Amino acid sequence: MTLHQVGVEVDESRAAAPRTSRWRRLRPGDWAVRLGAIAVILGVWELFGPTLNKLILRPPSDIVRAFFELIANGELQDAMSQSFRELFGGLGVALVLGLVIGIASGRWRFVYNAIDPLVSALYSVPSVALVPLIAVAFKSIGDPPRIATVALFAIFPILINTQQGVRNVDRQLLEVARSFHTSERRLWTDVIIPSATPYVLAGVRLAIGRGLIGMIVAEFFIGLVGLGYLIIAYENVFRIDRMFVPVIVVATMGILMMGLVQWLEGRIAPWLKKEQ
Amino acid sequence: MSALVARISVERASKRFSSGSVTVFEELDLAVRDREALCILGPSGCGKTTLLRSMHGLVPLDAGRIVIDGAEVRAPRRNVAMVFQHFGLMPWKRVRENVAYGLELAGLPKATVDERVERYIELVGLRGFERSYPNQLSGGMQQRAGLARALAVEPDILLMDEPFGSLDALTREILQDELLRIYQLAPRTMVFITHSIEEAIAMGDRILVLSARPARVRELLQVDIPRPRTVAGVIAHPRFIPLRDHCWRLLRERAA
Ligand SMILES: Nc1ncnc2c1ncn2[C@@H]1O[C@H](COP(=O)(O)OP(=O)(O)O)[C@@H](O)[C@H]1O
Ligand SMILES: [Mg+2]
Repeated sequence: MTLHQVGVEVDESRAAAPRTSRWRRLRPGDWAVRLGAIAVILGVWELFGPTLNKLILRPPSDIVRAFFELIANGELQDAMSQSFRELFGGLGVALVLGLVIGIASGRWRFVYNAIDPLVSALYSVPSVALVPLIAVAFKSIGDPPRIATVALFAIFPILINTQQGVRNVDRQLLEVARSFHTSERRLWTDVIIPSATPYVLAGVRLAIGRGLIGMIVAEFFIGLVGLGYLIIAYENVFRIDRMFVPVIVVATMGILMMGLVQWLEGRIAPWLKKEQ
Repeated sequence: MSALVARISVERASKRFSSGSVTVFEELDLAVRDREALCILGPSGCGKTTLLRSMHGLVPLDAGRIVIDGAEVRAPRRNVAMVFQHFGLMPWKRVRENVAYGLELAGLPKATVDERVERYIELVGLRGFERSYPNQLSGGMQQRAGLARALAVEPDILLMDEPFGSLDALTREILQDELLRIYQLAPRTMVFITHSIEEAIAMGDRILVLSARPARVRELLQVDIPRPRTVAGVIAHPRFIPLRDHCWRLLRERAA
């Protein structure tokens, strides 16, 4: 896949930015439907799940109990602090590198040509395939290779979206800026950065999901720690109720972080939500 | 006397776009006098925007030159401001910030910026919308902001690229009247591009009729309709119908 094709995908994610903003303000009716659907699913699961498969479909009430057990014995807190250290470290690295490389390659043809083959290649390879290599490269099974894994999973949506955001700046606005004698610095602050912002935030939203996958994968492959360890450990002893706890924590984390980014988008890019 | 001095002169200017080998105009000559409103009238796609962009130094010519105040134009000059057909407002700036844009870039002190922004927002009738984003405004209101942004830098020369071309007929006429009123308050050199004959007659002291691409000067017409003008007054004026018919014939001859 060439970066150009990737760009087409990214354009869709860009198109998703204003579209989601239309849905950002959920009406009370929306919430009722959402919560109702969740309640129905949990209710059916609770009542009929165990009759289908007693081992795997443990009822939600068991999972809630397991949740408190894992908090009481401290396992969950330990695993979460371990995992979130990796997650935030990795996302931080991905954000900094993704923004810097994305901006540079979006603005300067030379940088674009220099990094495009590498980015395309790395983006095409399933990131999972590179995880064992990362451990070897770091000669360690500690936090650094796991953070690097999260960064590897998360960087591409940020990098490519930022790059496309910078490249897709409205040419007409660039001309308006020139017409009013802009400096290069003001061109960035007035035109390029604001117009790339929705792309970047859409990239960050995608990066959060991929980063969470990277976190669990890293914990499976490198050292077996954190929430990934809890999943494997309790799966191996068929404590499926306990196994579900870290799974749900990861899912909740994803929802919360993406919600945070959407809230941030309303803060950083208020012009997008005034579209109605 | 000074009214006859050329403020802008286009001398044997040629422009091609190599992509598609389109010759937009070739050996074009024209002069814009000081403080006149020159309308450039031509069919869509004949190269009017390209001509105006080259007058502003936004695109280089292939041959010939454009001179403003004795100096060849190579980049946008401080005393020239442009109003765009597409409005060209920054979606992320509120009306106030959009109008302040040129002033800030000119490095004016904040007090001056504030005073001018307020004055020109008032002048174009945008009072009360200072804190709106462009996408909260109608097209007519957006172009009022575009106009205020250009006027606020108090340019000697205004370049207008079909500023009302994308507005509905009613809004267009309202804004034409507003521009006539504003122009009356402070006449300045203005190049006004349009493909509407009525608009050219209403706005212009002279009308330069261009042919289809490659654009050539078909004729230069004097509009002997006194100012202050209103659109309705111009249309009711006895000179209007003959001028309109003449322009029609010039444009149609070539199109047929
Ligand atoms: N940047 C460009 N690259 C290539 N062709 C262009 C460009 N800008 C305009 N053209 C072509 O030049 C011609 C004149 O365009 P334009 O000046 O926009 O006409 P008008 O404003 O009179 O409608 C058109 O055929 C258009 O397709
Ligand atoms: Mg045009």
